[in-house]
Amino acid sequence: MANILLTSSCNRSCPYCFARNEISGPSGGQRLSWENLIYIADFLWASGQRKVSLLGGEPTLHPQCGDFILYLIDRGFKVTVFTNGILSPSRLKEFRRHLTEMPLEKLDLVCNLNDPVLTPAVPQEMQRLNSFLAVMGPWTRAGFNIYRLDFTLDFLFDHINRFSMKRRLRLGIAHPVPGSQGSFIPTQDLRSVVTRLYSFRQLFETYRISLRLDCGFPLCKFSDQELGWLYRSGSHSPFGCGPALDIAPDMTAYHCFPLSNYKRKSLFEFNSLEEINKHFSQLRDEIRTEIPGIYEECDGCHCREGGVCAGGGMCQIVCRFLGEAPIRPAGIEDEISKYRMSK
Amino acid sequence: MRSPNIVCPNSESLLQKFKGHAVALRMNSCDHIAEGVAHLRKSGNTLFCVIVESDRPLAEIQFEDHHRGIPLAVMVPAAGRFRDLAAHLHRVRELNLRVYLPCDNPDNLTSLRILSSVGIHCCAVFGNGRTDWESLADLATYAVLERSPHAPIEPFAFIVSNYPASKRLDWGRVFFDDPGHFLHLDEDGRVALSQAELAEKRFVAQSLGEIGAPDEFPPIRERLRSWRHYFTDNHPCAFCAGWKICLGKFSPSLSENAGCSGFFTEMIDLVRQHTALKVALQEQRIWQL
Repeated sequence: MANILLTSSCNRSCPYCFARNEISGPSGGQRLSWENLIYIADFLWASGQRKVSLLGGEPTLHPQCGDFILYLIDRGFKVTVFTNGILSPSRLKEFRRHLTEMPLEKLDLVCNLNDPVLTPAVPQEMQRLNSFLAVMGPWTRAGFNIYRLDFTLDFLFDHINRFSMKRRLRLGIAHPVPGSQGSFIPTQDLRSVVTRLYSFRQLFETYRISLRLDCGFPLCKFSDQELGWLYRSGSHSPFGCGPALDIAPDMTAYHCFPLSNYKRKSLFEFNSLEEINKHFSQLRDEIRTEIPGIYEECDGCHCREGGVCAGGGMCQIVCRFLGEAPIRPAGIEDEISKYRMSK
Repeated sequence: MRSPNIVCPNSESLLQKFKGHAVALRMNSCDHIAEGVAHLRKSGNTLFCVIVESDRPLAEIQFEDHHRGIPLAVMVPAAGRFRDLAAHLHRVRELNLRVYLPCDNPDNLTSLRILSSVGIHCCAVFGNGRTDWESLADLATYAVLERSPHAPIEPFAFIVSNYPASKRLDWGRVFFDDPGHFLHLDEDGRVALSQAELAEKRFVAQSLGEIGAPDEFPPIRERLRSWRHYFTDNHPCAFCAGWKICLGKFSPSLSENAGCSGFFTEMIDLVRQHTALKVALQEQRIWQL
């Protein structure tokens, strides 16, 4: 699936934001034009892709966000919108009027929620979020990014029940962003994250909420029992680190948010999604040849070699490169030097 | 020359004045379509199409089920917001319809691309002196060379399907402006050779009856041969690389249309590329036999 970034503006400032290299603040910033959206839709359609995700910044800050969603659905795409749910009253009115008749299989919203205690929001934001969920709850999945070890999930279950949200939770870990400061889970703490996550198992089962893990979890940090639970909750093979393929408003494409500055290339240089995937596969091979995974044990691991586990996120490996002397091949060092220079 | 099609206002009494013509009925609202078509059928003429000239954006026009099957040319100032259009797009797509948008507003160039990409046949109306020729060339490139399925955008689709023409071919007929194909009548039945001349009340006959055989009627014959003056008068358009498609359409306001030459030269190149693409596709088909 391709991610289309509608705008670089965002109205929230999350401590773990892995898009921070791309974000410009609540106003200004770049916006995707209609012409470019049509180009992307044609490009994806011609490549056989029928699913798109809309992201930002905060995609609902784009003045034509509603139009873009309706357009892509009309073009035959299944659209997923990643939002923080903090919509202005006028934008919410627009959503209520134009999107609440939409079949659930055509439109999917992922609302990224922050813990109200550990990452408090101002009352107006909470009010807007609640209003959004009251209207769009049935179309919305809850999303949560783990960025500290004492995370809780109780508030998510409360939101899902209160607003009749989809009973699926998208859970990600906050990744380090090369060249940038922000909260994230270090690789040595991933086991603790899994242990804590498993402690919520009873709540997942009680409320019949399925779990979908985002990229970057290493398989070896789960016990067989935990893996069985994951499998039964519907989170199949969450151990990859494939290109998310983000397309920015300036029509450049990159592997994923944390690696947004790594071998970024204009979409106009490609003729199909296949070509883009090839470009980013080369990037992956280049990095994985140097270091197979985030742990020493990844080298020679049969799960990694068999393609079941990617060996953690590439962004974590690139961060490791950054802390080293420049000993890597020129292709990597050229990219790494961009981060070093921007420091 | 066959009998020209008639473009005339939706008036029952006017329609009674002639017979046996294909008629494009002009009206300013979709509310009168059924009534106009009924009058036309009673008059002994056939329907070429209904031209709806509305002040409202396309998104605000309500089409009805009984409009299906009637050829409609809808001339609107803008497409409107997509969110408003989206709700009745399925109905619009079921119609035999072409949407005309003026390109003096840059937003309409975007709207044309949007409409085409969602399968609505549309037409760029340009050449009023405020045309952004570069953006128009981008739109033409999209219309002609885009690989993804999309509805035709006129006049580019007409141009690429009909050029290179072995004889003079006026793409103005897409806008009902070609005296070889369309004559324009006012409420009183007076005849003009184009929509603009009708608006300026420059009539060539007081009634259709005066015209007789159109190709022998001097003003029409003269108009169809007027392109020759560009060569006899050494007009700059006659030396323009884009002449073969443009045919001097923008010469009256040449200074305002400084970009027209570049645009039509590019259009010729697009025709060549389109033809090459078609040939390549046909060659591929041979191997699939």
